[in-house]
Amino acid sequence: MEKRTLLVADSIDKRFGITHAVDNVSLTIDAGEIRGLIGENGSGKSTFSQMLCGIYSIGGGTFRLDGKELHVRNQVEANNEGIAIIVQEMGTLSGLTVAENIFLGHEEPFMHFGVKDARAMNKEGQRLLDEYGFGHIKAADMIDHYNFEDRKLVEIVKATYMKPKILVIDETTTALSQNGRLELYKIMDAIRADGRTVIFISHDLGEVLSHTDTVTVLRDGEYIDTVRSADMTEDDLKRLMVGREIGSAYYRTDYGEPISDEVVLTVENVSVPHEISNVSFQLHRGEILGFGGLSECGMHEVGKAIFAASWDRTGTVKLADGTEIDSITTAIRHSIAYASKDRDNESVILNESIRNNIVLPSIDDLASHGLLSGRKLTAFADKHATDMQTKMQSVNQFVSDLSGGNKQKVVLARWIGKGSNILVLDSPTRGIDVRVKQAIYALMADLRKQGKSIIMISEEIPELLGMADRILIMKDGVINGEFRRDPALSEEDLIAKMV
Amino acid sequence: MQKSTDKNHEPSKLGSFFASDTFKGLLPFIGLVVIVVAMNILTQGKILTPKRLRLLLSQVYYPMIVATGVFFVMTLGSIDFTEGSTLGLASIVISKLSFYSIPLAILGGILTGAAIGAINGFFHVKFKLQSFIITICTMYLFRGVCAYLTTETAVPASAAIKALDMNWLKITITVAVLLVAWFLFRFTRIGNDVKAVGSGETAARFSGVKTDRVKFLAFVAAGALTGVAAFVNVIKVGSITATAGNQLETQILIALVLGGLPITGGAKVRFSNIIVGTLMYTVLNNGLVMLGYESQTQQLIKGVIFLIFVALTIDRKALKVIK
Amino acid sequence: MSKTLEKLKSSRSYGLILLLVMLLFFYGVFKILTPGNFGSLSNLYSYLQSSIIYSVGGCGLYFIVVMGLFDFAVGANIVLSSIVGVILSKHFGYLGFVLGCLGCGTLIGFVIGMLYNNLNVPSMIVTVGLMLIFESLAVFVAGGVKQTLDPELRFFSGAPGNIILAGLAFLLMYFILNYTKIGTYCNAIGSNEFTAKNMGINVRKYKLIGFMLLHFFVGIMAILTVSYGTTMTALTGMSTMSRNFQPLMGTFFGVAFRKYKMPITAIIVGEFIISIIFNGFVALGAPTTIQNVVTGGALLVIVSLTARGAKGSVVK
Repeated sequence: MEKRTLLVADSIDKRFGITHAVDNVSLTIDAGEIRGLIGENGSGKSTFSQMLCGIYSIGGGTFRLDGKELHVRNQVEANNEGIAIIVQEMGTLSGLTVAENIFLGHEEPFMHFGVKDARAMNKEGQRLLDEYGFGHIKAADMIDHYNFEDRKLVEIVKATYMKPKILVIDETTTALSQNGRLELYKIMDAIRADGRTVIFISHDLGEVLSHTDTVTVLRDGEYIDTVRSADMTEDDLKRLMVGREIGSAYYRTDYGEPISDEVVLTVENVSVPHEISNVSFQLHRGEILGFGGLSECGMHEVGKAIFAASWDRTGTVKLADGTEIDSITTAIRHSIAYASKDRDNESVILNESIRNNIVLPSIDDLASHGLLSGRKLTAFADKHATDMQTKMQSVNQFVSDLSGGNKQKVVLARWIGKGSNILVLDSPTRGIDVRVKQAIYALMADLRKQGKSIIMISEEIPELLGMADRILIMKDGVINGEFRRDPALSEEDLIAKMV
Repeated sequence: MQKSTDKNHEPSKLGSFFASDTFKGLLPFIGLVVIVVAMNILTQGKILTPKRLRLLLSQVYYPMIVATGVFFVMTLGSIDFTEGSTLGLASIVISKLSFYSIPLAILGGILTGAAIGAINGFFHVKFKLQSFIITICTMYLFRGVCAYLTTETAVPASAAIKALDMNWLKITITVAVLLVAWFLFRFTRIGNDVKAVGSGETAARFSGVKTDRVKFLAFVAAGALTGVAAFVNVIKVGSITATAGNQLETQILIALVLGGLPITGGAKVRFSNIIVGTLMYTVLNNGLVMLGYESQTQQLIKGVIFLIFVALTIDRKALKVIK
Repeated sequence: MSKTLEKLKSSRSYGLILLLVMLLFFYGVFKILTPGNFGSLSNLYSYLQSSIIYSVGGCGLYFIVVMGLFDFAVGANIVLSSIVGVILSKHFGYLGFVLGCLGCGTLIGFVIGMLYNNLNVPSMIVTVGLMLIFESLAVFVAGGVKQTLDPELRFFSGAPGNIILAGLAFLLMYFILNYTKIGTYCNAIGSNEFTAKNMGINVRKYKLIGFMLLHFFVGIMAILTVSYGTTMTALTGMSTMSRNFQPLMGTFFGVAFRKYKMPITAIIVGEFIISIIFNGFVALGAPTTIQNVVTGGALLVIVSLTARGAKGSVVK
């Protein structure tokens, strides 16, 4: 097939406050290709594609589709131009029927003089669902009665039934079972065969290589390169994503150091309904224990369970002295710290000052006879924020003004100020730029040397390989494999236990 | 403590100053001064006569005590609509008990308020129901109980308790409540905890704040303080009718919002919101009465001022989606 | 087996059965306690006639509540619109009465919607302020005197007039929910405003439409209310606050039964149940002052059963 340029992105740019999310990205995509779009978290790939689809406004530059400049203000206008997206999060709306979700914003064919023909809408919805092979979903049912995967399938129908010129698939496969994935791959191939285009965003590099024609790499919001999938290995892609050789000063360089025999935390048969079952392991003194897996494998819940923040947890989490961790306050009092993956909601209080964020868990330690001194609190917060080299005007600045990396520094300052010995860090470098990442890795290595123990939960395999003394891989809520730190350990070894 | 965010604004840009947090923080004070001055001019100085001021003061006590309790609830970002009913019911309890013993009556009033607060807090925390819905329900429920208890006649209080109607006592109680609340808010972790819950409940919980307990206790405190206010109310009026405390909750809400309390609660609340707001509301009320406006005109002016104030002071950044 | 049970639990008939069981339960309890003065067919008919007035308002509030908004000015508008309607009826008869109530009602809805959209203040707060303003407007319009509906114009004061009008209102609601985009879009905005905006839904427009529809129904409620009571007195001092909550109870029923795709039935039956409970207590000899206790208690039970937040969710 002769190549025809379908989409031209010219100097696309976007800032969120002080974060330069997408930095002058220019690229072209041909008709009839499947283009992978990869990059680490925070590289700007989602922001870029969401600007294309009208979810975010374009900060600067232009998109041209078939030579025509795009001016879309929302998803529906993008749909009308021939661009559709399946988003990472839940894209269907509760309280509506399946058919209403599929045709949301596109009710016109079913409207006669302002009157909606619900029966025709349901019928057409059902016809589409059957055609896609998702006949078990009923168009007239409320979407609330379906689970996450079925709702994703509905979204696939919603995004593709009108035969868009470009379909953006943003991290959808993690939510799908093997069957669902195969269905999706089939749809992608059909779109290509039809001379239309897919932009495929995924963390799973193996998946990217086997299902795309070309791959564009972004790093820290900048365009790096576009390569032919057939010429690349996963390591090549990774090198492009990280921007340096793996194993350089970025991560820890030591290998073969023994893990202490001293157990500081014992987790026994911990289960959380619908999340994890019978998870047991021990954490040693001065150890970085990595947890890896696909994002829905339950590893994030393990972090919450240790911190006693899970609902309906069973099993025991015990410290070396026999203390059982059964509430968040007990956990904090006994030197356990937790930094959530959902930083903005579960770690920092956005609409509150840096000072009050840092002092929160230490407030009883700072009070004398229950009385607080404002000066003492400020001095405490200032010391720890400064130690972390937080970029701020003063500790009275609100956290909402900070970048992702600086927010994470505030979180770490909070727990280091508390003097916690066991740190549970969930996705500690998620959405953080390379320089702050490096600082966080250095801090982790330093804390480890001081004899503190760290549980690092991460969706990024290189990070696990580079930082952890021991790695536990989870799958479907149970621990599925254990690895020791080893230079010979490869990503494939870990992935094999994840899927 | 200075507000660091203002460093972003250039001093020459007057417009950005008016949009800044400093200005929004000052607005209630400015508003209070403007209203006092305006009323003084309009009434040709009559509002500042000693007699008038005494009257004005006598109307400040119990709303200010109640507002102090509600302040904690609203700092959480929640709302409590039960004050009116609580005041009514607690007043009835105090009146009935006043024939036996006055300390017992006071205790009974506070416990009644605290119990209603506990019911609100329990449903709010345990069942995860929105506070405004819960407190609308209980407002109705206890308003009904008040009406039931006063179906036949008004409930009289003993002569002994009415003899306590002395200004110094009411002032002492009000000042004591304010001082204790201010002390707790400013110098213990209570203040930090309620503000943290208001600004980001989940993150506060993950930082060791016992969020459920904090929320529950805030509602209990609001109820208990309304019980204290009921005591002040009983010694003033002496006999309780079905309408005791009617619509008090809405008055308190308006007063606190006028005082600059952000409806979202959280880090930007100031303790001064209570005092400024209650004073402003009372001066406004009194001034409008003195000016001889009919009640509907007074209410129209109050409504307009309320809306203008909210629009000027609300912290829209804290609201992701305005509902 | 469990799958079919699951299926059944989500079906419309399950919701209907649930409502009927509640209805029969409360009816049964009071019928057993006071068989003499409660629950004869004519009694039930009169309970229904008072409850459908609130159901009409409940239908209107449904549009606002599913969007996650709230409105405290409903009561004030019932008073204001009915007074405008009665005054106009003195000059233009039925036409003035009906158009006065509906027109004034909808206009107030427009004002609320516009102010809410443009002030960017939570609806609960805007409507508290506007409640104050509308109450005083009502006093001005009424000239401070009690407004009485002319005896010639009382078609809607009893059956069949009130039943017909309320029935029309329910049909209108059914039509809007099932045959226009408005119902879908209101639900979408309530579910996730950001996503809804991305789907090209003009959120501001539909919030305005929501407020206007609510207050159109409030206009109908005004017709029924003033016809039922024959007089209306405007009072200040936030006295209309209490009128907000009877329709709200029906709305909560409606929202709770949304998943069975039968909100309107739930609103009507729900208000009827509340009416039965209240009249049951009165039949037991409780004074009418007990009404607020029943209202509050019933509402508390309903929301405790239906509106609970998920574990870990942030509820203000």
